[in-house]
Amino acid sequence: MSLQTFEYERGAGLDGKSRSTPPSEVSAATPPARDADDPLHGELMQLNMGPQHPATHGVLRLKLELDGETMRTVEPEVGYLHRGKEKTCESLGWAKFFPHTDRLDYVQPLMNNVGYALALERLAALAVPERGQVIRVLLMELSRVAAHLIYLGTTAIDLGAVSMFFNTFKERENIYTILDAYTGHRMNNTYVRIGGVFADVDEGVEALVREFLARLPTEIDGWEKLLSGNRIWYDRNRNVGILTKEQALAWSLTGPNLRGAGVEFDLRKAQPYSGYEQYEFEIPVGTVGDCYDRYLVRVEEMRQSVRIAAQALDRLAQSRGAEFLAEDRRYVLPPKDRVHTSMEELIFQFKIVTDLRLPAGEAYHAIESSKGELGFYVVSDGTSAPVRCHIRAPGLMNVQAIPPLAEGRLMSDMVALIGSLDFVMGEVDR
Amino acid sequence: MPGTITSERVDGALAGIEHRWLVHRDGLPALELDLAGLAHALRALKERAGFESATFVTAVDRLPRVPRFELVHQLFSLAHNERVRLHTRLADGENAPSCTQLWPGAAYMERECYDMFGIRFEGHVGLKRLLMPEEFEHHPLRKDFPHQGIEPDRLYREWDKKRRAEWHPEAAR
Amino acid sequence: MGALKPVPETREDGFFATRIDALINWGRKNSLWPMPLGLSCCGIELMAMLGPKFDLARFGAEAARFSPRQCDLLVVAGTLTWKMAAAARLVYDQMPEPKWVIAMGVCSSTGGMYDSYAVVQGVDSILPVDVYVPGCPPRPDAVIDAILKLQTKIERERPLARILAGPGVSDERGTGARTYQPNDAVRKSVYDLHPHDPRARKG
Repeated sequence: MSLQTFEYERGAGLDGKSRSTPPSEVSAATPPARDADDPLHGELMQLNMGPQHPATHGVLRLKLELDGETMRTVEPEVGYLHRGKEKTCESLGWAKFFPHTDRLDYVQPLMNNVGYALALERLAALAVPERGQVIRVLLMELSRVAAHLIYLGTTAIDLGAVSMFFNTFKERENIYTILDAYTGHRMNNTYVRIGGVFADVDEGVEALVREFLARLPTEIDGWEKLLSGNRIWYDRNRNVGILTKEQALAWSLTGPNLRGAGVEFDLRKAQPYSGYEQYEFEIPVGTVGDCYDRYLVRVEEMRQSVRIAAQALDRLAQSRGAEFLAEDRRYVLPPKDRVHTSMEELIFQFKIVTDLRLPAGEAYHAIESSKGELGFYVVSDGTSAPVRCHIRAPGLMNVQAIPPLAEGRLMSDMVALIGSLDFVMGEVDR
Repeated sequence: MPGTITSERVDGALAGIEHRWLVHRDGLPALELDLAGLAHALRALKERAGFESATFVTAVDRLPRVPRFELVHQLFSLAHNERVRLHTRLADGENAPSCTQLWPGAAYMERECYDMFGIRFEGHVGLKRLLMPEEFEHHPLRKDFPHQGIEPDRLYREWDKKRRAEWHPEAAR
Repeated sequence: MGALKPVPETREDGFFATRIDALINWGRKNSLWPMPLGLSCCGIELMAMLGPKFDLARFGAEAARFSPRQCDLLVVAGTLTWKMAAAARLVYDQMPEPKWVIAMGVCSSTGGMYDSYAVVQGVDSILPVDVYVPGCPPRPDAVIDAILKLQTKIERERPLARILAGPGVSDERGTGARTYQPNDAVRKSVYDLHPHDPRARKG
């Protein structure tokens, strides 16, 4: 799609207009030439960054070897937040693992819920009612906005634009208010179930969402005005961390990082789930593949999310009162009021909570999360104990892309690069 | 629905390499290979069938089945919007071929697989633990490893003892 | 003035008499500099707490610094793993005295939902904790409440005794009461609660 973006004096844009400085020249010119007479020539300094560092967005540790200001080798060390999620799934069972998925990529808990639920539903061959799917789409798009707001706020604060942090967190608070009204908790909501969602969206929540969606595009325009033309933001992001299409694919990158490199691929379009094929939206792609392009892609994705969420709201208004949770008592918990009044439903509740059995077999399902392809590969042997639940975390791949993009660049580019690759350690380490 | 989906493109690329299509539940073509043919198959899928990207590389511990492990590669082709999953059975102590030469993105996946299951990948440059500390002795996702771990705080206690001895030698005595 | 409680008859001519302990505590409790050890989900709520809606500046504790050398309040926000434990302990060790610790969220309080091989079952097995905040994650209001409780606690401390005693006294916090010992007893009891499970897997 073509985007209307800010044009800086040297030309920056996503709509096919390349910048006047070709990226190849810039990246070749960036490492300063070494003076052969320099007494320190060839001597590298070891620098440790993290695991407790404000710019690594969590507990990532980077081991750097610096030649002056230039990074010669970069070695990410992950695992500082490894909590053993996959093992936990094997001991807890399928249903009780839901709250753990929230805490994977904790800036978008409901999105992870949906990804996990979809994998289980695919394994169980269970269909979700129309209204349940629409509610899920609405929640996922709100989560996507919330996650991109974290990207924008934290990356901007790392690059010196402190006011952006307050601007984006103000809007995140509005998303929290919506989720608080709907689920009763601000974060880690665990509101998605196998077969649908836990509760229906009522009119009060709808009104909150509508109000939020009406205001957000203006806010996004304001942020773009603050950042896109900002000399510091532009210069620190432009031509930093340039990814080509081939590189992005070879390094298994997905999501905004892949789209920033110019690949028009979005799982919502390519392999639709939850009825995404019925929504109108466009996929923004970059031209150069640098941090600035990834920034533009994410900002545009927020606008598209607003579009999708607005369509979801319209669908919700049409299907008011319809079923939002499947009625399959092999996998789906009965509603609480019926549990309290019917012996049969009480037995179902007990059976599902204590040992939920999924058919023997295996399934993979991936969703387009804010970081990329979030996939769950689940293997069941027909008993209530999962054999394997592998979480394909897009964030891990984003971390893996740091060394090839950073080596040879200046130390200060690292902060922009970490921000724009966008990962959350909860998901990277699992 | 369970059934067998086959892909002619994959079949064509794997001509000459023994493979069996599997029954799946998720609509993805899945096939089983022998360990001996795995390296060839991966190369063929990359070069002849155009799978540009590795989605994940992981393993499943099927204890007490023999052989114990099942190595799972899932590949993705952007041009054809197609996925394929490869299953390879592997005994404890057997090495698997690394596919990092084909997909550099698989490096962390294989490191994670080594970390969690103890499966070594031949040809992987820098195969070491990814998530657990290098000195950790176990492979957590093996079925015979308890969820609560075996002495989970051992490494910290050793570090703490050293730190106390260095910083407060009089207290350590 | 609040907790300072000056002696009433000394207020004339612009000076008053009070206890030195009260004066020091008054200064300390209203200028806490938090060191946000944002480990996981709680870190996001910690950011929200510093953000516009909850505005921690109202309680004098908004000057978050990412260098432990400048901070006196360690907020352990999130799941602490054994791999991260050494780093967390180093952060605590680098903070100058006096220092206080808030364990934000159930993970840092007790290990929470993670009863696994990688997670520390409560940061109090490696650090002394002053205030525990339950919740997963706790709402920012709850953490603000914890800071208010910590302020009340600081009011009760007796820093003068510590200052007069001079260096070399093994009282880390100047409370006159509590000393941090290598907490083998605590660590052992925590460990005894979670002996490793020999039942590897059902069926």
